[in-house]
Parts: sequence; structure tokens; C-alpha cells
Amino acid sequence: MSVESDNMRGTVSTARSRPAVLRHVPYFIAAAVLVMLAASMQFDGYVLNILLQATTFSIAVFGVSVVLGLCGQINLAQAAFFGLGAYAVGLGTTDLQMSYWLCLVAGCLVAIVAGAFLGMSTLRLGGHYLAMVTISFQQIMTLVMINAIWLTHGPDGVSRIGRPSLFASSQSYLAFCVAALAIVGYIVWHLPDTKLGRAMRAVRDNELAAGVNGIDIFKTKVYAFAICAMLGGLAGGLFAGGFAYVSPDQFSFAESIVFLTMSLLGGVASPIGSVIGTGLLILIPEWLRFLKSVPGLYLAIYGLFVILIIRFMPEGIWGFVTAGFDRWRTKTKAPPAVKPLQLKPATTGGDIVLEVKGLSKHFGGLKAVDSVDIAVRRGGVHALIGPNGSGKTTTLNVLSGLYKATSGTILLDGTDITNMPPHQRTAAGLGRTFQNIRLFRSMTALENVEIGAERSGNTMIGTGGHAALTERAMEALTFVGLGNRANELITSFSYGHQRLIEIARALAANPTLLLLDEPAAGLNSTEKLELHELLKRIAAQGLTILIIDHDMTLVSEAAQHITVLNFGRRIADGESMAVLRHPDVVSAYLGSE
Amino acid sequence: MDLVLQLLFTGIGIGAVYALVALGFVLIFRATNVVNFAQGEFSMVAAYLMVVFAVDLGWPYWLSFLIALAGMALLGMIFNLGVYYPLRHRSYLPVIIATIGASILLANSVLAIYGPQPQVLQGWFETPGIQLGPVYLDSQYLLIIAVTIALVIFNYWFFEHTLLGKKLQATSQDKEMASLLGISVSTMIMITFIYSAVLGGLAGILVAPILFVSIQMGSTIALKAFAATIIGGFGDVAGAIIGGLALGVIETFGAAYISVPYKDGFAFLVLVAFLIFRPQGIFGERVAEKA
Amino acid sequence: MSLTRRDFAAGIVAGLAAPSIITSARAQASTIKIGMCAPVTGPAAESGGYAIKGAKLALDAVNKAGGILGKQAELIVEDDQTTNPGIVLAFSKLAAQSDIVAFLGSIRSTQVHAMAPDVLKLGKPVMIGGTDPNLTHMGNQWLFRFRPNDSYSGRVIAEYGVNTLGKKKWAILHSTDAFGTAGGKALSAALEKLGSPAVLDQGYANQSQDFTPVVLAIKQSGADILGSYFTFENDLGIFARQLRQLGVNIPWVGSPSIVNITALKLAGPALYNTYGVADYAEDSSEASKAFGKAYREVAKVAPDNQSSWTYDAINVLAAAINKAGSTEPGKIREAILAIKKFPGAEGEYNFDQNGDGLHGYNIVKNDKGNIAFDKHIEFTD
Repeated sequence: MSVESDNMRGTVSTARSRPAVLRHVPYFIAAAVLVMLAASMQFDGYVLNILLQATTFSIAVFGVSVVLGLCGQINLAQAAFFGLGAYAVGLGTTDLQMSYWLCLVAGCLVAIVAGAFLGMSTLRLGGHYLAMVTISFQQIMTLVMINAIWLTHGPDGVSRIGRPSLFASSQSYLAFCVAALAIVGYIVWHLPDTKLGRAMRAVRDNELAAGVNGIDIFKTKVYAFAICAMLGGLAGGLFAGGFAYVSPDQFSFAESIVFLTMSLLGGVASPIGSVIGTGLLILIPEWLRFLKSVPGLYLAIYGLFVILIIRFMPEGIWGFVTAGFDRWRTKTKAPPAVKPLQLKPATTGGDIVLEVKGLSKHFGGLKAVDSVDIAVRRGGVHALIGPNGSGKTTTLNVLSGLYKATSGTILLDGTDITNMPPHQRTAAGLGRTFQNIRLFRSMTALENVEIGAERSGNTMIGTGGHAALTERAMEALTFVGLGNRANELITSFSYGHQRLIEIARALAANPTLLLLDEPAAGLNSTEKLELHELLKRIAAQGLTILIIDHDMTLVSEAAQHITVLNFGRRIADGESMAVLRHPDVVSAYLGSE
Repeated sequence: MDLVLQLLFTGIGIGAVYALVALGFVLIFRATNVVNFAQGEFSMVAAYLMVVFAVDLGWPYWLSFLIALAGMALLGMIFNLGVYYPLRHRSYLPVIIATIGASILLANSVLAIYGPQPQVLQGWFETPGIQLGPVYLDSQYLLIIAVTIALVIFNYWFFEHTLLGKKLQATSQDKEMASLLGISVSTMIMITFIYSAVLGGLAGILVAPILFVSIQMGSTIALKAFAATIIGGFGDVAGAIIGGLALGVIETFGAAYISVPYKDGFAFLVLVAFLIFRPQGIFGERVAEKA
Repeated sequence: MSLTRRDFAAGIVAGLAAPSIITSARAQASTIKIGMCAPVTGPAAESGGYAIKGAKLALDAVNKAGGILGKQAELIVEDDQTTNPGIVLAFSKLAAQSDIVAFLGSIRSTQVHAMAPDVLKLGKPVMIGGTDPNLTHMGNQWLFRFRPNDSYSGRVIAEYGVNTLGKKKWAILHSTDAFGTAGGKALSAALEKLGSPAVLDQGYANQSQDFTPVVLAIKQSGADILGSYFTFENDLGIFARQLRQLGVNIPWVGSPSIVNITALKLAGPALYNTYGVADYAEDSSEASKAFGKAYREVAKVAPDNQSSWTYDAINVLAAAINKAGSTEPGKIREAILAIKKFPGAEGEYNFDQNGDGLHGYNIVKNDKGNIAFDKHIEFTD
């Protein structure tokens, strides 16, 4: 998907300066040619109908590609949103005698509201719930379309739907739809490179990491869902005008599955893929009509192909085509950072950056963390250690907001963050890494770090333009020694390097406090040395660090202050050497009789 | 009152059907964390197998029944190898979509072979039902309720008191730990798919005499059964049963006292209400993800 | 990038254009072509098969008798997938073949509604079987109906129940799909007119798995006769069995699906002694008997309305074109409208200016699984 965008990023300094409209002139020329073709070529009714169907369906499939491809959420009710738009135009232009344009806008609005409401009620839950709720919504919509005869005309459907007088002929209406397709396609094509688009991709790749990198997961999902619904509504409105007749069976669950399959077939993450998938799934049934002499045979083959595509072409046709292109692209070197990374943590609060008081986390009867106090001094490296199962990682998860504290308070730079969701804590100045690395795996190293840099409240990115983001991200990557591989996909990095990228992602956000969750885990001895050096360089810039690790050498050398947990309780706290010699600590680690 | 009793019986009967199919959903979900959208088609295929053997070939009912269940076991095996297993390391999304593909494939393959006309399958009993005071009890529904109760007991015994059952449970709770204990995770998942296909098939065969044998018989039941699993709490066997029964009763009474045409909507409204107000279901599933 | 996009789009256009070029190349034909949209796939695929057989049967007879305007007639079938978008595509595909002179549309009213705008645009005659009365009353002069419309079925059911069976307390049960809703409305209006409005008017959604609440509602309403519009046979079968199980044995007059072969097979004894309106009843006339005999020989199943209306449509169409002496659409239209007292399998065709050919129904009785012709009720208004 991000093919083009990354190329552009590769040549950041030159291309960025030209306005986007200029850079995309070829696209608009091509689109204009298509529109002219649609308006001028002589099609017979059959071809016209097919083109009209393909064009409007493509726009609906764009919606699916946003929600499924970009944000990783399933929507099995796109036909219902499509139907909302279609009925808005259908009923508006016939029963209410309203202007077509007004109806089209109304349809989009109704779809957005429905989509956002549906999303808000369920997007906090996992994927299979969403699948079910969207199916339910789809079924209820179908029932309403059929049974609310006073409103929808019931199963008879709505006929003689109006069109704008400007596009009264089928040919000109088709041209209008193609133009709409081109515009929506342009927007969807560039969506991944916007802040919202990056947030969606981050949510798709790794929800937890997205949250702790300052992305409001819930809001992002709701936006994705609303956009998907809106495109469904728009497409439905265009469809209704084109075919002049709508009825409930055109917007059934089966149609939702068709939209989903179109998106998958072409390539779920790309508008081009959407168009290919839509076109093929409209054309193939037409070409394969001969297969239909045996009822079911065609659909059986169709079902089989869905399985095969998922199995062998997970990125769809377009993804398959562009895979080779992708490999070439990642070879392009990114320009090195101009200046070294600067970490300028906020210094508004007092001497204590993080103050944890009486923090508890209970899972049912299990007291994983029990009234723990921690005070992290500004500019220092503070270690949190303890044997396995002592509650270290739970503490960190409560601190970063992945778990809700059972009791106690957490103050970050004097701000009470105890009840904030992860992204707000990040905005407040918290950064973290994970023991089991959580990077956005479908993105390049640079994109990963850019998402970190983009956190709200980051003072190091100026007004937050893309150039500033890229610059900041390059600085962070260069800082950890991976600047020259910025455009490579995460999957091509070694485990140790992935950990460095995760640290760079946290650093780019310019946090007030950096939480490192077992950064040395899984590293070999050379990598551990490098990590050690890196920590020193970070600390040298005055960034406060709270580190969890098992590696005593690392901890004792890097940290000035240590807090020790055992069975969820704090058993020791103080200056490093003193704590490590503390008898309780020794017995906790070595075991007592 | 007579009316209420009659509706209650029918509601429980229909609910037991949902519960049977829901059971298959839950078992697969617990073992693989995947929702199998082709579960309803398992029921449909089994019913058609019965038609092939018991009706078309005229073999004894019990023999056809055993063959049909054996066929379902085979289908479960093929389904696992062809649909789930190659995708087991990917996220839930591709798997959901692949199972949707499988459901289209199964439904339409049967359509291609057998044609669209619904078929008749006789029930187990000669007597269609008994009149108990003011309430008419359909014998097939009685059978379905009995089988559901028996299966609840069997499942309890199987999962709590047999080694295989415990191994299956261990696998569904923590695959890594299970494999460290020397349990073959892929074998356990295979067994789960086989068992759940057989269960789905059983539901299909039991319900066929009431609903007739048709291509879409499975998908309509499966959607409701799926709702039942969520209402009961995903991943909980008892929850699936209670959810199924509750849904059947709600639907029947909703149709009688509110609206017949919107009958199918009640299930989904209840479902959405549950998702908003009690997403963990009646019995509760751990919703939080581990960090 | 943009190049790829343009190439791709051009490819699509070329791919799309190709079939139409091929079709226009074949346009010089020596046969008279009749297009037919039929459900080869989808939920109605079974009845689609019957419809095609019925049409082919008539076509063979027409060709044996010398064809149309001296040429052999040819039927070109397109699958409408039993869906509305499906029939729109199927029809536009047929419409693109300029040498097709007339078409057979669908037996499903929503599908006819869906294709109607395209029919109007094309301006060639289309024979339809959809029974929604509106279809021939919405200013589309190219639709010609070969089954009595639902206003007649409703009136016939009401007339038979009230005047022949002498029952006044009606319960109406209908599917909430287009067909069922229109039928229910017609029946309700007809009863209103006869002075015995229904005591219960109940809709149900297709593919219901249980009808207990409906049966109990009928029981409680105190109705002494039931009129029904069912769409799918399995719904009808489930309902019929539950109705009898719960002890409701009032007379029952149903829409054509109640005497449909599949319904008889599924419901068995539960449907004994019910009445149905049938546009096709084998014993209702000589023409019906003749069609029944010929159809049985070819199709090996009992004839029904799915096959009889297409059979009649082809016959009437052939007669009209021959009479018009031309395949010019306006002339065919006039010739069809001029057809009077044409004996068809469905009954006697007397086209009115709206394009409705039939104005009455047969009442048949399910006599222990055999469908027996009872009487024909014809309206002249």
C-alpha cells in the first residue's frame, strides 16, 4: 500500500517541497481521461450497467479496504451501509421530492452516524464480537427494509429514483460516478500517509504498542468504521441513482460478503486492489455464466477461491503484483539525519518524575502487585527488579495503562495519570518498550519511529509536518545506529536490531520518562554491550529511565537506584549497591531455606 | 397459561437446536480462538448425508445415522487440514474469512450435487408427538432436548474426567504449556474439529425432520447459535447451552407478543444489548488481552 | 504508478468491450431470437428449470408448426441468479443483442420492478409472470402479463371462502416479501369489499424455523377460515404441520404455492383438504390438459404454473408476431393487445389495454395429496 509514499519519503528533501497536487498530476490526467472515456465511448446497456455497478461497488469496497486493510477491523455489514445511502437517495428523490445532491449527502451522514454508533458500541471488544455485531446490524437493517413498509416501501423496493438533471443520461451519470471514484480513490490512496492513516496501520499491526505510542485506539477504530460506512453510503447513493431501482435483497448479508471478498481478492490494503477485486468479481460471474447451468457450481468454485486466496495470496492480486516492487523499494537508502538526536524531556515538575503510591493490582484473589511505592528521580536510571512472578511486568503494565490499577495513585511530573488510558499517558510524557518486542510489523523502521515521534505533546517536531516527523524519526534511528536501514521493513531486521528500533520509537517521542521492559532479554553478549552503551548515551542527555531487567550486571552498572519486588510487594528500595547487598533481596533471588 | 406453556416448550425446543450448534462453535473457539463460520454448513451436510443413505438408498435409519456421523468426522478432518491448519499462525481475520469461504463452498457444492429443492427426512419416532394436557409436545423436539441434556452431561464427564478431555482443555487454555507437557497440540486441534463437526452434524440430523433438509437450513441456525454463544459467554460450554435456550425462548415469546416478522431481529437486538452492557456474556470470558 | 492505473483501466474497458463486439458480429441471424431471463442459480433455481422447460416445449411446437414469420425461433436464456441486480444484468446483456425481438421476464414481481426501467428504455415487448398488480399499471407499456395478477388471486380466495364455503371470520397469513405482502393486501381489500374484514392479518419473515406463535395467534383470533400467501415451500411445510399438530383444522385457502409439488411432498397429510388458487390447473380446460400431457413427457414431473406461463408466453408471442407480420416492437405490442379468446394452458387469454392477459383463477382442492380442479372464477372488471 505504502509503495508510493515511501518512494517519496526516500527523496524527501526534493519532492516534499513541491505541492502534492503537482506531484500527482499524472494521476489526475489519467482520471480525467477515464472520465472522458466514460462520457464519450459508446457502450451498450449491458456494458454500461456493468461499468456502473463496478464503479459504485468499488467505492463501497474502498470503505472495506480502509476498515479491514488499513485498520484491521472486520465489517460484515458494508451492504447495509450501502443500502442506507441507496435508500436515502431512493426515498429522498421519489417520496420526498428532494434534490439528489441533498439526498446523497444525507445518505452519507446517516451511514456515518450508523457506522460510528455501531463502532462505538463494540469496537472496545475483540474481532469476533465485531464480526457478530456487524452481522446483527446487517440482519436488522434487512428486516427493517423489508418490514417497515411505511418508510421503505418494503420488499417492492423503490423505483424511478431520480438523478441530477446535469447527469440525466446514463452515459454522463457513469462519467460522474467514475469521477467520484477517482476522487475517493485519491483520498483513500493517500490516507495511509496521514496521521489518522498511520494510526490505523499501527492499530492494525499492534494494538497495545499503538496505545502506548500515543494513539487513541478506540477513536482510531471508530473513525475507520465511520469512514468505511460513509463510503458505503456514498456508493449506495450513486448506485441508486444509476439503477433507478433499489430493493432490500440488494443489500443483504450475502452482498456484504461479496464486498469483503472483492476487497480481499484485489488486495485488502489498496484502492487499486479494491478496483481490481471489484471489477473481477463483477466480471467473472458474467464470463462464467456457462458454469451456472449446474446450480451452485459457480458459487462453490467462488468459495473455494476465497479459501485459496487467503491461503496463497494473503495480500490479494495487487499485493502479489507489488511484492516484487516492494523489495526493490526497501533497497533505497534513506538520507542520514542532519543533526544528532536531542532529548529534551520536560522539566516542569519537581525532583521526582514518577511518584507511585500504594499501587495495587489484583487479579481476582491474586495480588500481583500489592501496595507498592516507587519514586523515580529526575535524570536518573531507576531499576525495578525481582524474581520471576514478582510483579515487575504487571507494575509496568499498570504504569503504562494496559492494566487498570486496583488502588493507589500514579503521578507523572505531578500529573495524576492513574485513570488515564495508555495514549493519554503517552501524551503526558510516558514512553515504553516491551519485553516481547511490539513493532508495527508491516511497516518500515522509519514509519515505526515516525508513529512514535507523532505523539501529541512532542515539542521536538515543531508544527508536526511530515518533513519534521521524518527528520525526527531519522535522528532517532541514527541515534541507535540504524539510520542507513530506515526504509527496510521490520521483518528484515534481527531481533537485537528490532529492540533498538523499539527504543528509537520511544525516544523519538521525546518522553519525560522512559520505561524499558527487560531490554536485554534475548540479546547476545555483543548486543548487550551495545545496549549498555546506548543506555549510557540516553542517560547522558538527562532522560529519566525506569528499567526492568534480570541482567544484574546491566542493572547494577546502569542504575543508580533500585526497587526490588517479591510476591507483588516492595521488599527493598534505595541506592543500587546497598539494595543488592540487602539480605532480603539476596534470599529472594537465591531462595531461603 | 396454556399459551405460555406451549410457547415455552417450542422456545426450549428451538433453543436446544441453537445450543447444539453453539456447542460446536464454542469447542472450536476454545481450542483455536477462531470463529468457524461454516459450523452451520456442517449441520446441513450431515442432514443431506442422511437423505442420501436413509432416503435415497433406503438403508436402515441407525446405520445411515452412523455413516453420516462418520462422514462428518471425515469432513471435520478435511476442514481442519484445508482451512484452519495452513492459517494457524495468522491472525483471526484470515481464518474467519477462510471459514466464510468454506461455508460458501460447502453450501453450493451440496446445491450443485443435490439441487435446490428441499428434501424430507423422517424423524426417529413414528408418533409425531404427544398431547400433554393443553400442551402439544413434538416428539422430535423432545428428542432434541433430551440429546442436549445428555450432551451437557457427556461433555462435563469428558472434559473433567477423561485424560483426553483434560488434554483438550489444557490445549485450549495454553498451547505452549500443553506442548511443553508433551501434548500434541495439532492432534488435539484435529480432535476438536472432528468432535465439533460431529456435534454440528448431530444437530443437523436431529433438526432435519422439523425444518426439512435444505441448503440454507444450516446458515440460519448458525447465525442464531453464534449469537447464543456470545450471550452465553464465548468459550464456555454451559454458557452456550444457556445462551441457546434463552435465545430460543426470547425469540418465541418475542414473536408471540411483539412481532412475528421481526422475530429474527430479537436475537440480534438481545445480542447487541449484551455486547454493550455485558460483553463477557452470562458466564463471562476474560476480555482483556495479555500484555 | 498512474501509468499502471491507466493501463489497468484501459484493460478493463477493452475486456468489457470485447463481448459486445463479438455479439454485434453475430448479429446477422437467420432465426427469430427470443431472450429469456430465468433463475438458473439462486434460491429459485429449481423453478427456473421448470420455466425454461415450459418455454422450450412451446418453442419446439412453434418451430414444428412452421416457426415465426417462416423462420425457426430460438430461445436465448440468461441467468438472473434469482436476484434483482442479477436480472438487471441478465436483461441488459440480452438487450444488447439487437436481433432479439422479444423477451420473457421473471415470475418474481420485484425482479420485474428492477428490470422495468431498462425495459422502458429498450422499448421491446417483455412477457412477465410477476403478479404484483402495479406492474401493468405503472405506465410501462412493454410489459405483458401471462398470469392473473394478485388482485385476482385475493379476490378469488375471498370470493370462494365467503360465498362458496360460507366463512366470514378470516385469518390472513402472508410472507413479508414482495409477493406475500402484495397478496395479503389484495386479499384483505377483497374481504373488506365483501363485508367480512379479516380478524387477523399476520405477516411472517421467510425462512422462519418455527410458526408456533403464529398458529397460536390464529387459534386465539377465533378465525373460522385461513387465507395464506406463502413464498417458500419449506415455510409452508413447517407451518402446515404445526397448524395441524396444535389442533387447528379450519378450512384453508392458499395462494398457488399451497398446491406446488414440493410443498405437497414436504407437508404431506398436513395439507390434505386445503384449497388453493392455481393459475394452472391441469383439468381446467382442454388446452391445460394438452400442455400437461406434453410437459409430463418431456420433463418427467407434474406440470405447474412455473412452466405453464412461459409455455403460454411463447405461444402467444409467436401467434402475435405471425399476426403482426413483423418483428417491429410497436406492431408486436398491438398484436398482443389484440389477442382475445386465446386458449392457453393457464386459461383463456383476453388481453386488456394494461397488458394483463388473464382475469381469473382456478380453485383446486388437495384431495389426499392429489390436486383436483374445483372451479374457475373469472372477473370481467
